[in-house]
Formats: sequence, C-alpha cells, structure tokens
Amino acid sequence: MQPVTLYVNGDKHEVVVEPLQPLLGTLRDALGLTGTKEGCSTGYCGACTVLVDGRPVNACLFPTVDADRREVTTIEGLAADDGALHPVQTAFIEHFGLQCGFCTPGMIVSAAALLAENPAPNAEAIRQALSGNLCRCTGYQSIVESVLAAASELHEQGRAGEPPGRRAAIRTRA
Amino acid sequence: MAAIIGTRRIRPDAADKATGRTVYTADVALEGALAGVVVRSPHAFARVVKVDVARAQALPGVRAVAHAGNTPSKALDFGIKDQYLFPRPYARYVGEPVAAVAADTEAQARAAAAAIQVEYEVLAPVLDARAALKPDAPLVHPDWEHYEKTAGRVLRRNVCGYNRVRRGDVDAAFKSADRVVESEFHFSPGMPGYLEPRAAAARPEPDGGLTLWCGSQSPYSNRDELAAFFDLVPERVRFVNQFVGGAFGGKILMAAEWFAAALALQSGKPVRVLWSRHEDGLHIFPRHGGYAKFASAVKSDGTLLAMRASFVYDTGAYIGYGGGTALISSMLASAPYRIPNLDIEATLVYTNKHIAGPVRAPGGPQANFAKESHLEEVARALGMDSLEFRLKNAWNESDVSPTGQKLEGVTIRETLGRAAKAIGWGEPLPPNHGRGIACTWWFSSCAESKARVEIRADGSVLVASGNAEVGTGSAASALPMIAADALGIDPQKITLLLADTASATYDSGVGGSGSTFSAGLAVRAAAKSAREQLLARAEDALEARADDIELRDGRASVRGAPEHGVSFEQLAKAAGGSITGSGEAESISDPEHDETLTETHGFASWLAPSYTTTAAEVEVDPETGRVAVRKITTVQDVGFAVNPAGAIGQIEGGAVQGLGFALTEELVYDGHGDLMPDFKDYLLPTSVDAPAIEAILLTSKSGAGPFGMKGVGEPPVTTPAGAIANAIRDAVGVAPHETPMTPERVWRALQAK
Repeated sequence: MQPVTLYVNGDKHEVVVEPLQPLLGTLRDALGLTGTKEGCSTGYCGACTVLVDGRPVNACLFPTVDADRREVTTIEGLAADDGALHPVQTAFIEHFGLQCGFCTPGMIVSAAALLAENPAPNAEAIRQALSGNLCRCTGYQSIVESVLAAASELHEQGRAGEPPGRRAAIRTRA
Repeated sequence: MAAIIGTRRIRPDAADKATGRTVYTADVALEGALAGVVVRSPHAFARVVKVDVARAQALPGVRAVAHAGNTPSKALDFGIKDQYLFPRPYARYVGEPVAAVAADTEAQARAAAAAIQVEYEVLAPVLDARAALKPDAPLVHPDWEHYEKTAGRVLRRNVCGYNRVRRGDVDAAFKSADRVVESEFHFSPGMPGYLEPRAAAARPEPDGGLTLWCGSQSPYSNRDELAAFFDLVPERVRFVNQFVGGAFGGKILMAAEWFAAALALQSGKPVRVLWSRHEDGLHIFPRHGGYAKFASAVKSDGTLLAMRASFVYDTGAYIGYGGGTALISSMLASAPYRIPNLDIEATLVYTNKHIAGPVRAPGGPQANFAKESHLEEVARALGMDSLEFRLKNAWNESDVSPTGQKLEGVTIRETLGRAAKAIGWGEPLPPNHGRGIACTWWFSSCAESKARVEIRADGSVLVASGNAEVGTGSAASALPMIAADALGIDPQKITLLLADTASATYDSGVGGSGSTFSAGLAVRAAAKSAREQLLARAEDALEARADDIELRDGRASVRGAPEHGVSFEQLAKAAGGSITGSGEAESISDPEHDETLTETHGFASWLAPSYTTTAAEVEVDPETGRVAVRKITTVQDVGFAVNPAGAIGQIEGGAVQGLGFALTEELVYDGHGDLMPDFKDYLLPTSVDAPAIEAILLTSKSGAGPFGMKGVGEPPVTTPAGAIANAIRDAVGVAPHETPMTPERVWRALQAK
C-alpha cells in the first residue's frame, strides 16, 4: 500500500492505495467524486477523462500513485469557486451537446483541455481532439457545435487559453 | 406566456449532466452493500453436470452463493418458456450465468467466484443461423417440444419465430416480368453500444419486500417479472430507476437486477452488482445478425411488379424480446413501395450465441440495408436513376401497406425530394465520390402509461410519470414541456418524478419510439385535469368565468387584468393542500389491415406511420476499400416535434448509429462461440468517423400522438446503411452485400467487379 497526496479540484487529499490502483477508483470510491464515469475500464471510451496537471488522461488506466502531488481536475472542479459554470459546460447545455449524459463529464473535460491548448479550433480539430471520447447518443454534431460556441464565449470573456479548473491554494512539490 | 410546445427548450436535466451531478446506478451509495459477482459459462453449449459451491462458501467474507440448486425452478416467460435464471441443465452461450456470489468486498467475491467448481459436459454448438436450419444440426434446445408458449408463437426445430406476408400472384408476376433481379445479404450482429454498463443494487426490506436501484427502460414490467419469479408481493418490490446512461433497446430485459435481487434475498443484506464493459458484453442483448434473400420482378419502365424476400435471423440462445426483428423486417422488405405481388417471410433461429434483442429499430437497419441495396441494383439493371426509380414506385396517399392497411398522410415523396435536393442530387462529383439514397416507413407505439400532475401547497408543480429517461429527452424534456404548456408555467420550474414504482405511475416502458407518444398523452391528460381544477377554483376566487381566466407564471388571473389574480399556492391551499390531475394514454385502436395476407404475424398493422429518407455522400479509396462518409442528410416526417432540438438530436444520433452498422460495428464470434466484447474490438463510430449531418424535420401533424406527433427515435437509424451502400455503388460501381462494409469487404467487392 502506498500513501499518496492528491490535489483534486483545489482540495488536498491524503489517500493510501494499492500500487496500481487506477485513479478512477480513488476518485469515485475513496473521494466520493462520482461525476467521472467508468464506461469501458480499458481506455477506449474516454468517459473517465480527467486532467492531471492540465493534461487529459483516462482515469481508468492512470495509476493513482502517478498523480501524487499533482493537480487533478474532474468534472466537479470545472465550475468557478462562485459556482459559475465553465463556458464549455454552459455550451453543452445550451447546444444540446448531451443526451444520456454518461459520456458528458469526460467529453467536457477533454473539450476544456483542448480549448486551453488551442483556443480557436475548427470543427476538424475538435473532432480530432475528442476522438478518444465515445458518444453513442448525439452523433457528435451537437458536441462539435457546443465546443465551437464555448471557444467563442471564452474569447469574448477574454479567457482564451485559460487552463480549466481550480488550482490548489497551497501546493508543495518534493 | 410564450409558446412552449414546439419550441426549442433547454433540457431540464442538462445542467446536472454537464456538471457530473446526475446519479446513475453505479453512483448510488448503499450503506453496507455487499459486492455481487456472476460466474459465467465459458462454453457455447454445455450441460451443467454439477455446481460445487462448498469451497467458495467457506471463503472469508462470502455471504451468499446463488445457483440453480437454491433459486426458483420456474422458467422465465417471454412468450416461449425456454429460459431459466441458471442452467437447468443446459448453458447455451458463452457468458451464460451459472452462479452468483456476494461477499463483503469485490476481491472476496471474485475469489469466491473463482472457487466455484462447475462440471460441464461440453456439447457441439450451433453458431450460424443457416446451419441451425439444416436437418442434421444439433438442437440448441433438445427438449423444445415440451416448452409452453403463448398462442400465436411459432416453435419448431431450432426455430422460435416465423411470419409471412403474401399478396397477389407472385409466380405469375415473375413470369410476366421484363427483368428479374436477385440479391443476397448478410448482417453481422451488433451491440446496442450504450456507454453505461449494466448495474443494479438491491436491498431487502423489513416488510419482506425488496428495493432495486437500476437503470432500466421498463422498470414496471421488470418489477412484475422479478416479483413473480421470487414470489414477492409486487407492491412491496420497489424499482427506483436512475438516469440511464444510454439504452437503445439493450436495457429492456433485466440483467444485473436478477443477480442483485437473488443475492440480496439470500444474504438478507444489500448487494451491488456492477458490471465492467467486458462483463456487460458477455451478457449483451445484441442487434440480430442474419441473412436475407431478395428477388424482384420489374417492367422495363421501372414499375415494380412483384417481390420475394426471405430473412433468416440469428436470435441466439433464447427468445427474450427478439421476436420484433422478424415481424418488423417483413413489414419493411417491400415498403414504402407499391408492389402488388409479395411473398415475404422472416424466420428467427436459435443458435448458441447471446440473446439477440430489440436494439433501437429492431430489424430496421438490416431490412432497409438489404431492401434499399437490392432495389438500387434493380434500378441500375434498368439503367434508371435511383431517385426517379423510387419516386416512380413510392406510395401515394391512400395506397395500402404490404398487409393491406390503408395509408393516410403519406409523405414519403416529400422526404425523398427534400433529401435528394439537400445532398445535391445529380450535381457533378469528383472521381470515387458518390451519392446514395434510402427510405423507409416506420410505426409509432401507443402503450399503457399513466401520469399525475400535482399543484402542491407551496404552489410548486410536480409531474410524475413511470417513463424512464434513457437519454432521448422524451421523459426529462418533453413531459415537463407538455405539462408546462397546459399550466402556463416555465418547464424548468417543474419537479419531475420519473420511474420510481413506489411513487410514480405505471408506464409500460421505453420502446418502439413510443415514450413521448404514450407518456406524453398521459401527461397531457393529467395536466388538462389539473388545469381544469385550477380554473374551477379560480372561478370562485376571482368571480370570473373560466373562459376569462388565464394561467401564467404560477398564477390564475383575469385576462387583461393580471393584478386581479390568485396564486397556484392559494388555489392549492384552498383545495385542501394540493390539486392533483391524473391521466392516462387513451388507448388508440390499431388501424385495420387484411388478415388474410399474413401468417403468424402479430404486428401487421402500424399506428401513425412515419416516413423517412436518408441521403449520403461518400468517398471511396479504391486502393484500400476505405469509405469516408462526407455528409448524411435525413428528412423525417415526425408529425410534430414537442422540442425540435430533441428530435434533431435523435436524427443526428441515429445517423451515426446507422453509420456504425454500415461501416464498422461487428460483434465478432470465433469458431467456439466466444466473442470479443470490448470497445477495442467493437468499433463504435468516433467523432472523426462521423460526418456532418443535416436533419430536416417535416411536421405534417398527422400522427396520433400528442399535438399530431409520431414516433421519432427509431427511423433515423434504419436508413443510413442503405444510403451509404448506394453511395458506394454510385462511387465505384459495386458495394458489399454484407454489413459492416469494412475496407476489406469493399476492396473484395471491387476485386470481384
């Protein structure tokens, strides 16, 4: 068993895990953050996508120990401290970028990561960036429209390229 | 109050879904729950000689082991009593449950599952539907002759369904034809493809009842089946349905629920059964694979004279809910075309594979792929343009269906014309690009559904329906809109109570494109009743006639004098605390058809038919056989769209599911009946596979549903494969007669040209 310090959505958590315990189980079972979903457990569907230091990973495969002392952002951590939704979330709501909602947390987290890296992607770039996130309901068109709308909104708010998620207030690296 | 019905409205469930707050079954925390694990047969066909649980039971943490020896011996009844909860004594597919274990932790349950010793006598399986029909094929059900069945069901050697539609003089028409064209097709089985694996939690209650948390399409019928099986009082069995992470027909039959219930009853403790994708795949209810043969007789001017068609579907080990595929296929094979002479049959065959189910539009993608591909070959044989050929033969108003049902509100020509125009029919294309078109008719379903609309003492409004929200928005979006429209309030302010058998009201489940139709009729009736009661109370309070009173933003006021009003809160209090309107879907009788044209066909008359055309543009790489779909346009007569954005979402999603059926999705079995159930092998379309989609709604208001709507969800998944196949033909002259049309199959078709 291995002690690990996680900074999840700005909050510090100390957990003790099996050496290969995937981050997904730690988030869902140990921390009660069930917004992140388990769709395939093999890294093919992307429903479990979270950000580790701003980069999207499949939490079902990512070992918890590799997130030690790093920033983890989940769907629960995308909204601002005052509860204002991230523009990607608002866009998915307004542009019908979701139906059953099961792929949505991972999809939104991937889309937020894309917009931090590429603030003005075209439809093709969005499709490429989200190709690791399966959606069975929407046919992807409304998702692409949602991400385009979110990109314009972030631009209008002067937040283009802003990294998503809350930062930990106090953070120490070894 | 601005119009609500028919306008684009944000889904009330969207904000929770976009923030991770929505609760699905695996998110339900259950105090003290044990972990339940299912032990599955590794053989396609075997006789279970012995299940030895002694070692497993002795392991630490183990609280219950369920198997054939300690669970009810009655057969499950889905029209043919061919299945048991655990083998008695035959296990008929790889993955069939033979036992289940509950333990304090998942690791303990897995260790115990591994310690259960099952002795099998391995038998030779039947893995192909046509092979199963051979006289010397092994019997999937050696004792089939002793099975009980519902009247009208067909049960023969390795066959559990058969129907036929015949009209006119087919032989004479074939003799008189200028041209006869024949085609044969093969369909691969497919997954429903929902992203949320099956899960269930069960808790025994002190009153001898049981509470189930699950994500089902049909919690009420599931409750009744479960109660009957375990001899429980149905009213004491409560299904608390959660939001469902996609279903597509794959979550109508119970799965994990059975084992959570059996283990909870045995251990006396709450049990959670959460399946991984792999386990879900081993317990899947797939789309039917199978075969089809078509022959058409035609005049040289393109007039269709006669058609023979025959479908053989692989329905797997048990009948389950697989029957619809064969019934629907024979209704689609010749439609929506005027063909006076028909002989169409469909057979459902037992094999040692998974129990095929009613995946979104059962039989639709298969039958329409075959029919539209075949008719394209007829048109090409005559040298006719495919659109012109279809328009020449398509139904007109007052034509009859294959089974003699008189058709009204026929909009097929309009859908063909608009789809062709939108895809740029006839305009020049670069080499290896092509366009194709395919069309269909489909049914609406009106099933039993009840609803309750309450104005509560605080003035808030609650809508209760037994319908489940599986993602389409039929329940979470359309139902509040329908109630809000009647009551003059904002749909976002309605509290929606869905599919909890303890407090909602009966609904027969999500299926057959019937949710907004049936549950919508029920909610509309309940809301109308609540409205009338509000108006009657307001008449007294305002000393005005109901005609002069309007409901707006939670108040009743005299028209033109909004200050002269009374709040819902006051009206509810005056009524003794609340005002409740109840309603149910009025029963709509099936349209008449000619019963002399059918044989053992239980679905020969279609309520409120809809018409749909899909056009596709593709690019084929002749070197590799790879097909890239550039655009899909679907024009669908939805009758009326309660929330147009929701209907468009159904068409867009359906287009890409249809594309998956056409190009990538194949549930692959090996020679031992073992399958590859993971997403690394089963290729759901990704965002880069999906093309731009144009969804065009026709609103003829000719349906029998609320506001003139028709069923929406299923038709758009049935037409893309035919359109894509025909676009491939247009691009390179040939197309595979097999789904999915993988690069290899396209390449082989090109080599054989």
